[in-house]
Amino acid sequence: MIKDGPWKEAPKATTFAEREFQVCIAARLVENGKTYWVAGGGGPMYSVLIAKKLYAPDVVYVAEDGVVGPEPMLPFDPVMTLAAARPSYRALMWSTMNGIGDQCAVGYLDYGVLNTLQLDPYGNLNSTWIGTYGVEGRRFNGPGGADTIAAMCRRVVLMMDHQRRKFVPRVDFISSPGYLDGSPGARERAGLPANTGPWALVTNWAVFDFEEQTHHLRLRAIAPFVTLEQVLAEMTFEPKFPPDGKVETLDPPTEEELRILRTEMDVNGQFTDTAAHWVVWEDGRWSLVAKEQGKKLSPL
Amino acid sequence: MAEKTLRILEEGQGEYSLPDPDVFREWTARKDRAMRPKLMTAQEAVARFVADGDYIVWETNYFQRGPSALIREIIRQRKTRLWAGGKFTWVIVALLVEAGCCDRADMGFFVGGPGVTRAVVEKRLKVYEYSNLVMAARLRAGAMGLSFISVRSLGGTDGFKYSGAKIIEDPYTGKPTVIVPALYPDVALIHVHQADQYGNARIFGTTITDVESALASRKVIISAEEIINTEEIRHKPGLTKIPYYLVDAVVHQPFGAYPGECPGMYASDTEHVAEVLGAIYNDKVKEYLDKWVYSVASEEQMLVERVGLNKLKEMQRRATMVATEGYRS
Repeated sequence: MIKDGPWKEAPKATTFAEREFQVCIAARLVENGKTYWVAGGGGPMYSVLIAKKLYAPDVVYVAEDGVVGPEPMLPFDPVMTLAAARPSYRALMWSTMNGIGDQCAVGYLDYGVLNTLQLDPYGNLNSTWIGTYGVEGRRFNGPGGADTIAAMCRRVVLMMDHQRRKFVPRVDFISSPGYLDGSPGARERAGLPANTGPWALVTNWAVFDFEEQTHHLRLRAIAPFVTLEQVLAEMTFEPKFPPDGKVETLDPPTEEELRILRTEMDVNGQFTDTAAHWVVWEDGRWSLVAKEQGKKLSPL
Repeated sequence: MAEKTLRILEEGQGEYSLPDPDVFREWTARKDRAMRPKLMTAQEAVARFVADGDYIVWETNYFQRGPSALIREIIRQRKTRLWAGGKFTWVIVALLVEAGCCDRADMGFFVGGPGVTRAVVEKRLKVYEYSNLVMAARLRAGAMGLSFISVRSLGGTDGFKYSGAKIIEDPYTGKPTVIVPALYPDVALIHVHQADQYGNARIFGTTITDVESALASRKVIISAEEIINTEEIRHKPGLTKIPYYLVDAVVHQPFGAYPGECPGMYASDTEHVAEVLGAIYNDKVKEYLDKWVYSVASEEQMLVERVGLNKLKEMQRRATMVATEGYRS
């Protein structure tokens, strides 16, 4: 799943935000010639758009408002990522929500790309409630279109911040289905189409897939600016490892990926500029540099 | 022949209105077919056609070609006990809940924030869990005159438990299949680009479930950016999305989607969008409603006194500078 591509030879960035790294890594997983259903806005849409521009020109994407194959006019106004003029620009078709659902149900939509707040080892997603449902904690937005994407796309790419509180043994609420309890046929027993489910998880620190037999989250690669120990320390459960035990190291963003992301998409850093530090290449190693003081936090 | 029983394998516990298509047909039997003018103000449309306790749906949302003006009018008239179809909706449910208008919501996507969380924990708001697409499927089932529809999602989620869905053994394939109850709302609020005075309506751009909502709802209120002649409608009938006899009221409401964008006509008011989201996340919805809803008597007064002509012109200019292709007849 971690493959070579044009990014290997391209000039690399030396300063970036972790979420920028995450979007670029997700872009490199995009498979040319396939159809994508992207969640509205943020990392999922940015990663597919970067891929379309640099690596996968024949990708066609749809969104839940009914847009099919747009050549969107970037950047978007804040929040105006669906059902608005810029994201709908030069589309092949303006359809409907049920129209997109139909395309997915009959099997025309290969990949889905989603954000999640919380994830368990079987790729179940929570975007509804953190805490005890209805009793204490906090209500979030709910599944939106993600439940359908997670249920019916052939392969689903998940995006999440790499934080200990987000990798949990059981999500507080299954908003959108992963492999449920992980048992064979669990999704089919729940009425979901066969041969579907989470395929990858991209965090700001690592890339995972799901082991074929157990459907359990499996670590495949880590960012060049963190250690394996750090990645595991920010999870409440141990992921599986590849049979050969080899966890790959991901390439940093390229200058070109970042230029597109910063000038055409996340122009105000709303999605990517949320952490307190930059990742900086300096004196032959990566450091996390605090934004405000410009001082180093943790040389690696 | 041996009697066979349909097997229900699992059931959600969510409440829903009995989706009886024949009851709905009794309603449509009584609806006026005459091509008569239905133009009225937002105040009159909401006063006449939105009753306390109604199940309401709206198409798109407060930020994208939604009936934002009609929603504010509902809040201004202090409707109560509404049941909200909350799919693809950003902030409207939170505004209705904090305004005391809404005590039940079927969930697809809405911004929660502290106010909605509090309302749920204090049991002032009951939420039933679906998703955007499942709510769209429920409306489609209503629009097809059915009582339920089969979907290939929702199963296996915790949302299923708090919904009106069931998993049955599909009588044709024998496979487990999720079914959800059809939705027959009392009221649909739909903001369109153009309509004639009878309610023949055009929408440009993607349409969420505008057509399904119009078909499945007992009362349909259309607000339109422009009122056009029926001759124009007849000249390009392929552009009509909703025929007049589904429609109860037509409100001429320029900037009716404000602060949202009406694609091809005006861009969003980005400052207002940030203000209302900020109000919800920072628990200041009361202040927001005072400023934008309660302290003005009408939408027209709000646009003139709170928004201002310069801002409105700027929103139009930003729309015409960019992607307007495909939004005009």
